[in-house]
Amino acid sequence: MKAIDLLKKFTIIFVLIGLVIVFSVINPVFFSVQNFTNIFVQQSYVIIAAIGLAFVMISGGMDLSVGYQMSMVGIMTALAMMWWNLPMPVAVVIGLATGVLLGIINGVAAVSLKVHPLIVTLGTMTIFQGVSYIISNSNPIFGLPDSFKFLGQGYVLGIPVCVLIMIVIVALASLILNKTYFGRYVYALGSNDEAAHLAGVNVKWMKVCVFIISGFCVAISSIILVARAGSATSATGVGTEFTCMTAAVLGGVSFKGGAGKVWGVITGVLILGVLSSGMQIIGLGTYPQYVAKGLVLLAAVGFDNYQKTAKVKKVD
Amino acid sequence: MEPILSLNHITKLYPGVVALNDFSVDFAPGEVHALLGENGAGKSTLIKVISGAIAPDKGEIQFKGKKYSKMTPAISRGEGIEVIYQEFNLVDTLSVAENICMGERYGRFVDFKKMEEKAAEIFTKFKIDINPKETVESLSTAHKQIVEISKAISKKCDLLIMDEPSAPLTVNEVDAMFDIVRTLKAQGITIIYISHRMDEIFTIADRVTVMRDGGFVKTLYVKDTDRDELISLMVGRELSGTYPAPEKTYEEELFRVENMSGNGDKDISFSLRKGEILGLAGLVGAGRTELARLIYGADRAEAGKMYLEGKEIAIKSTSDAIRSGIGLIPEDRKQQGCFLEQSIEWNIAFNNIRNMSKSGFVDRKKVRETSEKYCDILRVKTPSLNQFVKNLSGGNQQKVVIAKTLAAQSKVIIFDEPTRGIDVGAKHEIYELMCSLADEGIGIIMISSDMEELLGMSQRILVMAEGKINGELEKEKFSQETILKYASNC
Ligand SMILES: Nc1ncnc2c1ncn2[C@@H]1O[C@H](COP(=O)(O)OP(=O)(O)OP(=O)(O)O)[C@@H](O)[C@H]1O
Ligand SMILES: [Mg+2]
Repeated sequence: MKAIDLLKKFTIIFVLIGLVIVFSVINPVFFSVQNFTNIFVQQSYVIIAAIGLAFVMISGGMDLSVGYQMSMVGIMTALAMMWWNLPMPVAVVIGLATGVLLGIINGVAAVSLKVHPLIVTLGTMTIFQGVSYIISNSNPIFGLPDSFKFLGQGYVLGIPVCVLIMIVIVALASLILNKTYFGRYVYALGSNDEAAHLAGVNVKWMKVCVFIISGFCVAISSIILVARAGSATSATGVGTEFTCMTAAVLGGVSFKGGAGKVWGVITGVLILGVLSSGMQIIGLGTYPQYVAKGLVLLAAVGFDNYQKTAKVKKVD
Repeated sequence: MEPILSLNHITKLYPGVVALNDFSVDFAPGEVHALLGENGAGKSTLIKVISGAIAPDKGEIQFKGKKYSKMTPAISRGEGIEVIYQEFNLVDTLSVAENICMGERYGRFVDFKKMEEKAAEIFTKFKIDINPKETVESLSTAHKQIVEISKAISKKCDLLIMDEPSAPLTVNEVDAMFDIVRTLKAQGITIIYISHRMDEIFTIADRVTVMRDGGFVKTLYVKDTDRDELISLMVGRELSGTYPAPEKTYEEELFRVENMSGNGDKDISFSLRKGEILGLAGLVGAGRTELARLIYGADRAEAGKMYLEGKEIAIKSTSDAIRSGIGLIPEDRKQQGCFLEQSIEWNIAFNNIRNMSKSGFVDRKKVRETSEKYCDILRVKTPSLNQFVKNLSGGNQQKVVIAKTLAAQSKVIIFDEPTRGIDVGAKHEIYELMCSLADEGIGIIMISSDMEELLGMSQRILVMAEGKINGELEKEKFSQETILKYASNC
């Protein structure tokens, strides 16, 4: 492969490296193991949720309800421990089961209503929001046990537990998407669902499956987030869907479906993470960060499109 | 006479492919000029150069006396060049009328009535009944093609380029289209006509240019040449003009359909022997593709039973069909047949990917070997198996679709328009492939709108009309007239 092709293929990795260099030059504090660990710890839950969302997006769908799924999972897990006094592992299982259930609801609704998942999850998002607040009665749930907080704050062999969990999820997702026939079905669904149907893929079942995967990832992500905070509220995780979407699109996941890579999604999340952390360190607050993130997204997507159309003009 | 369009020394390179190689040709005003060449010979690339969809790497284009180093779509349209591309360029969600009148303006507001009238007028010329208000996505492939043609001819132009316009059409529509082409020609419009159907070239063209591997071979007057000469110029070797036939015959029944209904088809029963090639004839809308989809489980049947090798099989989904050993090669390669944004290898292995996996994991070596094997058998022309399918020429895309179904190892294969857009050489390869499949005992159901091929290849023909089987013909009784009589239901 020629250098120029490499540059094109891995543009966003170079963007990430570029950002790291810029912030390190402005303030050398940025360039430290401590800071990089922080970024990973802070972003691990986003990466996990974004990977779940990427499954749905690659299959040609969309999930707007990620944030309120997180909210519901957080509340359910916390109340299982605090109100029902269940042991931590059981509560975690309940949390995961909630995520899977919400995924099934999204998937089944999308398939049976024959409506684009974007619209379906616009609806379920609102429903999940309502249910979450009804259950929690708008009260935060405090004082979660240490054994649970360990998932978000603990270390094993010097590595943060949440980062370990993230690594496992990343490895599993890459394996599924790249090496299994199930992964090919996901791409096929997003590339051409009619051709997939005629090739013997159970399209409806696959659509439900990707939502289940998404729900499961979102549940893990929510559990980590709640464990880090040490408390759960119905506002936990809300807004994550847009961070995830931004990261996925940055990372080259196609809005139309059929394309996207796990490493791209991770890079996308890290770019956003480096931007917040870097701007924080050089003393810019939350609002300028929003502006910067939006600009980076537009620039990256714009550049990508420019490249593609330039190629079309030249080659096609 | 001054040529209206001259191409001088045009060269176009793609990674690993010379699509056009120092190509020069002249087109005279008011002629119907056919372009002939194998799949991947560069025909579509040539017309894209003329229309400005792509820019040549070298060479010069001269149109109506003006010279250009490259065209742009805006210039070519402004100068009066209209193109019917090989692949559909319609907006699926808009109405037929809106598609036909796309880019035109009458007054300040959208005038639906006027657009619909205009569309209806063209359809009357085609003697075909399409509702201008219908959305394009609800149309059959053939009707979409008619809309595509109508869109081009509704504009005023001096040069009309038609890239395989007849591929999805049946006899009657092709005749109607030729009438229209003759009218346009009488008005002095120059027409560049691309088709893999030889008889059409002799019917409609004045001159024909043969190209091979992106190079110019010869331009001839149609009246001075014949089929065999053109074929040998085109493929560079002799091809027998006759259709091959399977060597073995089997007596036992392989597959039987009883009282199948659904999808607009009513009460269909027939049986298929082992190693038999059964043709399905009918006009557009006769329900042939619909029947194929019922058998394949792509649409749910309302009633009916199917038996394979004497045992009843229940097919509720396409995966049931594939598992039982029924394969379908769908008619519309772009929409139904392949994944354009994925590689050739990925596509070919896809239908059978579960069996090429061990406990869920894809066996890359097996995938590669299988796709290499079928690419070889079908002679897919590509620099690499990693090439995206969208970068292949139309005919080679079709070969990938066929390879994909073959790789799934079926006992009954339904070929729905298998040679649409495929050159004579490759057609022959597909015929021979069908025969060797039949020799292995595989039963073949072939749907084709190319009458000659249907008569040549089938051992028995079922004629469908309005969702019913209207007649059955044994080989000795084959004739175009009888088939058309049954097909038009009188
Ligand atoms: N965008 C592209 N990228 C790479 N190769 C291409 C591209 N478009 C066309 N080609 C190659 O250029 C060659 C000529 O293709 P072209 O589409 O002109 O063939 P064609 O004569 O129209 O064939 P067919 O009869 O199958 O339609 C083919 O080998 C094809 O694979
Ligand atoms: Mg072509």
